[in-house]
Amino acid sequence: MSEADFDVQYIERDDRSARVLIRGLSPAFANGIRRAMIADVPTFSIDTVRFVENSSVMFDEMLGLRLGLVPLTTPIDDFEIGDEVTLALDVAGPGTAYSGDLVSSEPLVEPADKNVPLIELKEGQRVELEADAVLDTGKEHAKHQGGVSVGYRHLQRVTVEGDLGEFDEEETRILRGVIETEDGEIVPTEAFDHDLSERYPGKEVSVEDVPGAFVFHVETDGSVDVEELIVRAIGTIEERADELRTTIAV
Amino acid sequence: MELRVIDKSEAELRIEVAGEDHTFMNVLKGALLEADDVAAATYDVNPEQSGGQTEPILTVKTESGDPLDALEDAADAITEKTTALSDAVRAA
Repeated sequence: MSEADFDVQYIERDDRSARVLIRGLSPAFANGIRRAMIADVPTFSIDTVRFVENSSVMFDEMLGLRLGLVPLTTPIDDFEIGDEVTLALDVAGPGTAYSGDLVSSEPLVEPADKNVPLIELKEGQRVELEADAVLDTGKEHAKHQGGVSVGYRHLQRVTVEGDLGEFDEEETRILRGVIETEDGEIVPTEAFDHDLSERYPGKEVSVEDVPGAFVFHVETDGSVDVEELIVRAIGTIEERADELRTTIAV
Repeated sequence: MELRVIDKSEAELRIEVAGEDHTFMNVLKGALLEADDVAAATYDVNPEQSGGQTEPILTVKTESGDPLDALEDAADAITEKTTALSDAVRAA
């Protein structure tokens, strides 16, 4: 069997979010990739915080949680799981401490967004801390998830069966996702307001799933870009297959 | 990943794959079922609701050949797919 017949096509593409059509996948494999994108691709996240001063209205633990949730850029090639990077924060009120105020000791690892509010400080309040970010996977803690809102739908093929009867009432037909027309055109349903009767007025149409064709919706928190996330997720499955092979051989 | 053979005969294998979850086990099962000489393949992550045991147990039955070889071939098949897919994603 020549299984290695994949076709990948980006429908929408951005740094942080994309819709990708992949053909030739088995359902098990598609779900494996989805799960791996969520739980197995590691990203940096603050895990330990040492407070020098915290005269804000929040307890240390509350600030610690908020710091953990700040996405940090993660060049995965340069680090291994368990590696640590230290960041520091020193902000005095009045004013708001933002994620952009975090100063990293490693230029490759810094807040992916500069505008995440950490805490509002009043006159005389001050936060000074040192935090260790650690590289780990979403399986360990959700703050390490690189992929947020990762999912897939089947690609749907729409076929025109014929004209509607003269006195048939035209009904809305709501569909979400991405369709493939008879000419092989790939159209996101937003293009016709998710309503097939808008695109095919006066026509009778049928809709069916295209076997093996999955439209992935991938969104990342900014720690890695979309392509990196997908490739890494596939990589983690490959690693495990390799590991299985070597373990059997022993 | 740690493997522990629970049962093995000529055409059947029951093996514990420690440290894995549905992510890999289902892919592996899928790959096994696509092989011609595999008669049956399944896995169970909570076998018989046994007390606390949650490591997946993989069961493979073959029509011909050693089930361990079938497992090895399935691992090869997965690697082949992942390599092709990574290349396709990078190229897109």
